Amino acid sequence: MGELKYVGHDQVRVDGLPKVTGAAQYVDDIEFGPGLLYAAIVESPYAHAVIKSIDVTKAEKADNVVTVVTGKDFPYRFGLYMHDRYVFAQDRVRFVGEQVAAVIARDPASALRAAKLVKVDYKELTPILTVRDALAASPQLIHPELATYTHVPWFFPQERSNIAHWRKVRKGNMEDGFKQAELVFEDTYTVPRYAHCAIETHGAVGLFDHAGRLTVWSASQSPYTQRHLFAEALSPLGLSHQNVRVIAPFVGGGFGGKAGVSMEILAAALATAVKGSPVKVLWSRAQEFYNTYQRQGVVATTKIGVKKDGTITALAQTLHWDAGAYVEYGANVVNAAGLSATGPYRIPNVSIDSVCVYTNLPPGGPYRGFGYSEFLFGLESHINETARKIGMDPVEFRYRNAIKEGDALTYGGHMNPSGLQQCIDKAAAAIEWGKQEKPADPAKARGKGFACFWKAPAMPPNASSTAFIKFNEDGSLNVLVSAMEIGQGFLTVMAQIAAEVLAVPVEKIRVELPDTDRNPYEWQTVASHITWGTGNAVQRAAEDCREQVFDLVSRALGTQREDLYLEDQAVRSRSEKEFILPFRDFAINGLMMKDGTYRGGPIVGRGMFMPEFASALSDPETSQGGKPNVHYTVGAAAVEVEIDRETGRITIPKAALAVDVGKAINPGLVRDQVSGGLLQGIATVLYEDMRFDGKGKLLNPNFSDYKIPTALDVPDQVVPIIVEVAQPDGPFGARGVGEHTMIPAAPMIANAIENALGIRIRSMPITAEKVALALRAKSDGAR
Amino acid sequence: MPILREFDYHRPATVKEAVKLLAKYKKPAVLAGGTDLVNGLKDEVSQPDAVIDIKGLRELRAISFKKNLLTIGAAVTFAELIESKLVQAKYPVIAEVARAVGSAGVRNRATMAGNICSAVPCADSAPLLAAYGARVCVQGPKGKRKVPAAKWFKGNRKTDIKKGELVTAIEFALPAKAHGGCFVKLGRYSGEDLAQASVLVLALPEHRYRVAFGSVAPAPVRAEKIEDLLNGKGVSGGIVRQAQELIPSIISPITDIRASREYRLQMCRVMFERGLRAAVARLDGGGPSYGTSLI
Amino acid sequence: MKKNISFKLNGRKLSLDAAPHEVLLEVLRDRLGVKSPKCGCDRGDCGTCTVMIDGRALRSCMVLAIEVDGHEVTTLEGLMTDGEITPLQRALLERNAFQCGFCAPGMILSATELLRKNPDPDEHEIKEAIAGNLCRCTGYTPIVEAVKECVGKSAKPDPSLVPSPMRRGKLSGRRK
Repeated sequence: MGELKYVGHDQVRVDGLPKVTGAAQYVDDIEFGPGLLYAAIVESPYAHAVIKSIDVTKAEKADNVVTVVTGKDFPYRFGLYMHDRYVFAQDRVRFVGEQVAAVIARDPASALRAAKLVKVDYKELTPILTVRDALAASPQLIHPELATYTHVPWFFPQERSNIAHWRKVRKGNMEDGFKQAELVFEDTYTVPRYAHCAIETHGAVGLFDHAGRLTVWSASQSPYTQRHLFAEALSPLGLSHQNVRVIAPFVGGGFGGKAGVSMEILAAALATAVKGSPVKVLWSRAQEFYNTYQRQGVVATTKIGVKKDGTITALAQTLHWDAGAYVEYGANVVNAAGLSATGPYRIPNVSIDSVCVYTNLPPGGPYRGFGYSEFLFGLESHINETARKIGMDPVEFRYRNAIKEGDALTYGGHMNPSGLQQCIDKAAAAIEWGKQEKPADPAKARGKGFACFWKAPAMPPNASSTAFIKFNEDGSLNVLVSAMEIGQGFLTVMAQIAAEVLAVPVEKIRVELPDTDRNPYEWQTVASHITWGTGNAVQRAAEDCREQVFDLVSRALGTQREDLYLEDQAVRSRSEKEFILPFRDFAINGLMMKDGTYRGGPIVGRGMFMPEFASALSDPETSQGGKPNVHYTVGAAAVEVEIDRETGRITIPKAALAVDVGKAINPGLVRDQVSGGLLQGIATVLYEDMRFDGKGKLLNPNFSDYKIPTALDVPDQVVPIIVEVAQPDGPFGARGVGEHTMIPAAPMIANAIENALGIRIRSMPITAEKVALALRAKSDGAR
Repeated sequence: MPILREFDYHRPATVKEAVKLLAKYKKPAVLAGGTDLVNGLKDEVSQPDAVIDIKGLRELRAISFKKNLLTIGAAVTFAELIESKLVQAKYPVIAEVARAVGSAGVRNRATMAGNICSAVPCADSAPLLAAYGARVCVQGPKGKRKVPAAKWFKGNRKTDIKKGELVTAIEFALPAKAHGGCFVKLGRYSGEDLAQASVLVLALPEHRYRVAFGSVAPAPVRAEKIEDLLNGKGVSGGIVRQAQELIPSIISPITDIRASREYRLQMCRVMFERGLRAAVARLDGGGPSYGTSLI
Repeated sequence: MKKNISFKLNGRKLSLDAAPHEVLLEVLRDRLGVKSPKCGCDRGDCGTCTVMIDGRALRSCMVLAIEVDGHEVTTLEGLMTDGEITPLQRALLERNAFQCGFCAPGMILSATELLRKNPDPDEHEIKEAIAGNLCRCTGYTPIVEAVKECVGKSAKPDPSLVPSPMRRGKLSGRRK
């Protein structure tokens, strides 16, 4: 690889100008004309109830109402990995806020007014609101028909229980492992539910036209997955894939929340009820909190065995996940976490039970980090405690056990090339690990914390990406892909990859947002796999273009093919220095021969990437045998905190995060992921927390009481550190980074608090109140 | 989300006209900043038959200082209070309170009069009025009256306002030639939040003090017991501790989603001490500059 | 009952019939097709609906449309006179300050008001001015850095000082 001109350099975002000028169009910004209808949803007030009857007569008669639909109209189930979710509730409701009926009207106010007139008669059942209750002996079943649900082959639902999936990992011999240990200890860590809080709420507009085509405009990370799930769920209506179209305009933040299909199914289904008219379903902020996906809560019991020299001999993890009422997506979070709950460490004897439990709380699902944030809080807290107990520096302890290339993974495969030890060294150096800082104010305490992380893309083994690249008359390019710009800078990164291969400057490349009618297939924009997977597809499409160009030029002009190369928007030859053939001279119209005939024609490249080496099949009792993860991205993060001993308030003078991205296609965008992702993670430990009442109703579905950070709540300094140990199968060596910047935040802060105050807090969030009260309890105890 | 109920709208040209309009309707609502009202209209917590918009009333837009009395018109926004040279010079703690309200975009609209009419327990202005012993100027069908803060706040969302009355201004008598003040607000973080507790301390010459707590009872609490203890004394460690011991007998915080009773109690002790020391230092021309967060 | 109201929107006069219960944000977006103010929470918490009324940045989800009768409303669209972006927009663009971009219109208006009122704000004042505009993507750091770059400069575009995107190669070129 020669010197790179576009890849590896900072670049102004290609979507920058539309975003700073307000030109960027989000789904609710699209005009549909005066025929647009609006839907309002009738929601369950109960967490668990049987629907006895629904009376829509009053609502149907209300002003401007077009129609009212209920579960009877759409008796369909859907789901990404397991078909357990309903378009509308059928005989029972399973969480507060579940959709029971919908009113479609000519304006939003009429729809909302009429929705209040729908009378639903319920018989209340006892809600199951905790994992403990759900797992009790002979519990009430939330899904009595669980055994009949179809699901992917790597899920293992337990009959006659509330367990939707149980991922078991067994490696080595636990008895031996704990016997070899000089210290064995166990603790339990609790992580509550969290909300994504993209500033744009979910919204979708469906149009089922009179010719029988369904088009859905959707705020989506997953246009193709949505198309597939819409076609699958609504196939009884005669829909097939080629007649379902999903268009995804700019998305105002995703973080996993707009992956898969949640409320978008309503726009698709309701459109079929009002043929010929577009119908909009737009979530309010409250609905955004309680009826999309929430990050699942987890109770983690961690038991570790360790020798005094710092060798970890065994690790047992039991993860009980509060997955909510429907787990069609969330069960795979449980699965992914189960496969990787050792963290980035070399451990010979491992036992992991990751259990997906139904409860009567809103559906759990994907959230930046996909289960890793959740288990890392406990694991990295426990690792710190272990180091403390054996008298070893926690950074040193991590360094010794850090996983390296070729080490055996829990399920039998081998670790990809990675620079975890480099990351540990750099993160530690960035905050001057080991140097005790003295606070200026004696009423305050200072401490430092550390955490390592890893994460693999959690995806089906055949998740694939494709790309088309079209040349234009002037030699500029249009790149067609169906991954999504959700803020991470995807469009820019793809443009840089195409630019590098084809020697076309980024400003002459337009990367198109998805439209499933025109752009080729992409599985989903999740799992931090896009730079890697779609990047590979774009690179291959660009290479395909390049080879077509070389074929044409050598065929038409007789130039030596192997001497050809691309530079500065033109074809050059190593053997003929003066040979310059600009793309604009032939990219569409071809090359004219002496006789006036032409050779060539429009150049269109195609690229595809599927990780053909991956497999999700393995022994259900041990998880041995498959290759479920394509690779891991690893890193380390460190923080310095200052704590007011009286108020418990925590401020962050400095935080650092080092991540091995393989190759930073755009280093500036990687650094921006660090400042954004780290704050999102810090907020989960310091401020945020979903609170439910005793009947399963969310108490804080708003920003007044679900506190996401403002500009005044950021660390004083964030140091992003890029490490590059190339990923052999990545584009230019790149691997993903989006989620990784968030996941170490919670344990690193918990560890810093322990370091500052000598108090170990084992439940999130760790608010100022919790710290202050713990400090007081400690001083009362000391008295 | 649209507002589902319809109502009349009036923009009177004078206070007199406004008062007439208030009398004309059964359930009129006054719109000053509208930051509480419009949310209430959306939630249907507020279901007025008419909205009387007083924002543009010239008579209500002034901040004036005459005869040691600061008058803040009912349509004056928090942003205008922060920017007012007069307020900054004579009553800097009022600007400090104003700066703690909501966010810049809210302060550009919301008014102190609206804040005290909503009279939620967490209203930031409430302890300010209580500590100053401010008076709320009200005009109604029966004429004008002035209600002292102690009588204005009647409980959670309850005030002394009578049907048909309009708040026209709030008056703050200058408590002394020079005074220092400090407002300390407990939020869950540094960004916009509703107060979980707040303390307002005024330090006057000759070791005289005024103290009020907010958000720890249905209405703001003037801590006279503490004032009595402190008055005439310097703020040495011992006396401050004694004053702190009185706090649980003065306030009655609850546990809710925002904070526990226990934490509110503990924080009121801390905030009181820090606020007191800052107010005293400010009286002497020192201390942290107004607007500095003390927690 | 509807009432005819007249106001200036982005420098141009217009009049329309508004019912008292119509909210300014809805009228701007749904009736006037001005889409830069977004609806993020609909209760004044998030700041995405920020517009300027008579030069003050405030939340249009908490304003009745009928209130702006006789006033001047400015949205992000109205900051760009003659198609030029302002120095603040340019600084934000070149710093890659936004990710998903949904908060951008409100954020830019809040920061613009600050720079007009106080051309020399310190870091805390910048953060305070935009603290009511929630952003979930960026961690705010790049936004604050971009605003800092504009400190001391006028927030109003001066075409003689600011080359257009087309003329200035730096726009889509690599950053230093």
